[in-house]
Amino acid sequence: MRLIQVVSVTAAVALLTGCGGVKTTATGGDGEFPTGNIQMSVGASPGGSTDLITRAIAEGVGKELGVSVPVVNKPGANGALNAKELQSAKPDGYKIAVQNASLFTITPLAVSANEAVKLDDFDLIGGISQDDYVLLAPAASAVKSIADLKKSGKNIKYGTTGVGTGAQLASALAFKQAAIPATDVPFDGGAPALTALLGSQVDVATIQVGDSIAQIKAKKVVPLAVFSAERIKFLPEVPTAKEQGYDVVVSQYRFLTAPKGTPEPVKAKLLDAAKKTFATEAYKKFNDDHCLTPIEGSPDEVRKILDEYATKYKAQLDQYQISLGKK
Amino acid sequence: MTERPLTEEPLTEEPLTERPLAQLSAAGVAGAIGVFGLVGSLALGLGRLTAPGPGLWPFTVSVVITVLAVVLALTGRHGTDTEGFTRASVQTAIAVLSLVVFAALLPLIGFEIPSLLLVFVWMRFLGKESWVSSTAVSIGTVAAFYVLFVVVLEIPLPRLI
Amino acid sequence: MDFLNPVIDGFGVVLQPTNLLYCLIGVVIGMLIGVLPGLGPAATIAILLPVTYGVEPVSAIIMLAGIFYGAQYGGTITSVLLRLPGEASSVVTVFDGYALAKQGKAGTALGVAAIGSFIGGTVSIIGLTLLAPVVAEVALDFGPPEYAALSLFGVLLVATVGNGGRTKSVIAAGLGLLLATVGRDTFTGASRFTFDTLNLADGIDFVPIAMGLFGLGEILHNLEERHRTVPAPAKITNVWPSRADLRQSSGAIGRGSVIGFVLGVLPGGGATLSSLVAYAVEKRRAKHPERFGKGAIEGVAAPETANNAAATSSFIPLLTLGIPANATMALMFGALLIQGIPPGPQLVSEHPDLFWGVVNSMYIGNILLLIMSIPMVGLFVKILRVRPAILAPITVLITLLGVYTVNNQVFDIFLVIVFGVLGYLMKKFGFEPGPLVLAFVLGSVMETAVRQSLLIFGGNPAGFFTRPISGTVLVVLIAVLALPAIRWAMRRRSVESRDEELV
Repeated sequence: MRLIQVVSVTAAVALLTGCGGVKTTATGGDGEFPTGNIQMSVGASPGGSTDLITRAIAEGVGKELGVSVPVVNKPGANGALNAKELQSAKPDGYKIAVQNASLFTITPLAVSANEAVKLDDFDLIGGISQDDYVLLAPAASAVKSIADLKKSGKNIKYGTTGVGTGAQLASALAFKQAAIPATDVPFDGGAPALTALLGSQVDVATIQVGDSIAQIKAKKVVPLAVFSAERIKFLPEVPTAKEQGYDVVVSQYRFLTAPKGTPEPVKAKLLDAAKKTFATEAYKKFNDDHCLTPIEGSPDEVRKILDEYATKYKAQLDQYQISLGKK
Repeated sequence: MTERPLTEEPLTEEPLTERPLAQLSAAGVAGAIGVFGLVGSLALGLGRLTAPGPGLWPFTVSVVITVLAVVLALTGRHGTDTEGFTRASVQTAIAVLSLVVFAALLPLIGFEIPSLLLVFVWMRFLGKESWVSSTAVSIGTVAAFYVLFVVVLEIPLPRLI
Repeated sequence: MDFLNPVIDGFGVVLQPTNLLYCLIGVVIGMLIGVLPGLGPAATIAILLPVTYGVEPVSAIIMLAGIFYGAQYGGTITSVLLRLPGEASSVVTVFDGYALAKQGKAGTALGVAAIGSFIGGTVSIIGLTLLAPVVAEVALDFGPPEYAALSLFGVLLVATVGNGGRTKSVIAAGLGLLLATVGRDTFTGASRFTFDTLNLADGIDFVPIAMGLFGLGEILHNLEERHRTVPAPAKITNVWPSRADLRQSSGAIGRGSVIGFVLGVLPGGGATLSSLVAYAVEKRRAKHPERFGKGAIEGVAAPETANNAAATSSFIPLLTLGIPANATMALMFGALLIQGIPPGPQLVSEHPDLFWGVVNSMYIGNILLLIMSIPMVGLFVKILRVRPAILAPITVLITLLGVYTVNNQVFDIFLVIVFGVLGYLMKKFGFEPGPLVLAFVLGSVMETAVRQSLLIFGGNPAGFFTRPISGTVLVVLIAVLALPAIRWAMRRRSVESRDEELV
């Protein structure tokens, strides 16, 4: 009797959850790629930019290849945990991941060596998009540019999205070059940093454009500078830091990776599916909604972008004697 | 306001006995954790009160734990809230072992077989249920979990099928 | 009353049959994932996101919102029946909820929790309807110094909610604070107590700690208990709370609603803090505070009301400022963007139908949840009639697999086992897990906020007292601390002499 109760309770639970789901089967198999599901892992929690990008691509690639592409979140160590897992996965194309440039170019400058991940340990499939940072001040303050900050003459408290992020690097470089005395106040991601800025808890904050575009448009915060090489189309009237005389070019860049040794035809097929996804209206709209600039380059171009970033950041940190992690 | 008198409730607790040794070892373990924290946070660097290093906060917490462990060792010896280990504690040890085996096997052979074994072992050997019901429930449970986690919720559990 | 027009139009939106259906689907899914430990609303919404692409924006958001607050209801069920708190905000419910279940009054606990959740949720929605823009502005005045003061207040409350020895409660809380420091330091990037494993680089997740210390620890302890006492399945005396129970918890529900609404607006730990504060308030007000932890119905009513009220008011920052307060909200943000509706400060004026449609769907959703709860409580309570020998392994399996789903890491299964053993040992040595888990949650908020504040103040701790809110909280805190410390010192003597007699 009791047994029946247990089973019926469990069955009821199972039945009730049945509304609105897509079936998933196992990964891999024989025959021409892909025969099974392709798993895309994300080194971040659900809801972040990397997660949303992965889901947008998974959706398109799945339709293109006619298989289901489940997204698995494996947050931890800025994505290093996911990277290490991908590194040791079977190189058959059934496990791929969108990864962040900052993990390879900025994080190693802030954390201990054992947490650092090398780009050479992965096969690159192709580039995805660039995510830019913007320096913001509360609407109430009279500050309109980096020069205004300098004029104020006080120690600037700047909020960033955390240690070892592009936001921290960009702001540290900008203030150092402008010789503005400033204190770094790290927050755990864009939302808390933006909240603190809206409440004028910090003087300025550097946040990803996509996370703050609504508040900029509503004139709750004022953009002082973008840290991209050229002006971005989402904030055409905002000058770059470079225009204002500071050599600070920092962006987040994302690209598609597979474990080292994935066969060329498999990679080509994945790249093709990704390209077709990039060309869809839905995906273009997604990019615009999240203020992402597509840079859908080849693996070689991706590698070049990353190498340039890594070399430049390292040199600039040395030049201005900035240390991201105070260890 | 109707206050229910305490006595109305069934007394499930067993009679408490004094165990100074248990209290002392509890204090000892707490103290050891405190000292470990102290050493670890000193190694991290304390910084200054106005500009705290990574170790300052854990150091403060560790000091509190260590001091209270000493207080517990001195004053709590006559406390009556501990239980000793008995022969039945072996059951718990076996149970923990079975969990460790489960976790070790999960990534290797998927969740189905380890789950089946876990439920079966707990029911048959730890719970002294009959062979028939142990078998039935363990198979039923794994089947239900498969439907729930894999089919319905699409959770990427390592699995065989 | 012109401003009420969009509100009434919003009801028109919700009462369309399709929207009602999506609301129902949302709350049912939410309730069920709330029952499964580990699997949170964020992960579920992420899975369901693609399903919403083809759906009307209002319907989609109504469903996703339903999942979110439905999960709060579901979490209560496992906290009370199996001692498995699925979320940080349900930890406090375990204290008296599980005690009531052991006395055969699980139905009372779940019934009061359902009613409290309904009232808390509804009060909070009314607050959201009338006060959202004002409240959002006030919430912005809460910077790091205010969080530091509030979380300090919370950590000190932790020590008072326990029932065991005061020294042991504080040691357990200290352990929780220490565990909260594991991982990469937010400020310097230094790895603290990670033993060089990447799995610990981001610190320990709440779920394995709570599941291990409460759920698994209890099961391991019961295993050896079974051989000492005859396993008497708890007799279920009543399935629904009596009128006396309801009268007794009415005050707690009222106060819990207000506390939950106010604290829930604060992003980060608002719901947990509100459940803790609501519980502490009831314990302090009670004529016989010693009943708490042994099955006081107010001890279930207060935190459950508060956490539901908080879950609802946590929508305020998203809907009025466009800032997602947590992962679930971030996904809703994404869902709104997909639908072509950028959430932001202009949402209310540009899309009043959506705003009020969602807000009003919460009234309906809460009513649906309450109606569903009545038969559900009866069904779920039957779980307790199952023999422990059968129930224990199934619970353990749910726990282990549920913990895996949080980060999809086997490492977390090992963690839950470690904390299970710790929970078992703590029980043996007379420590309570409650203070540890709560201090763990509040500890990281506190350390971050204090250090951010010091950076903002340029290293001057006096800064905390120069700001009106943090200053007031701290001054009150010091006053409150000084008072019972004196009283406690005086009472201590009499307690000690009574202890001697007992022995």
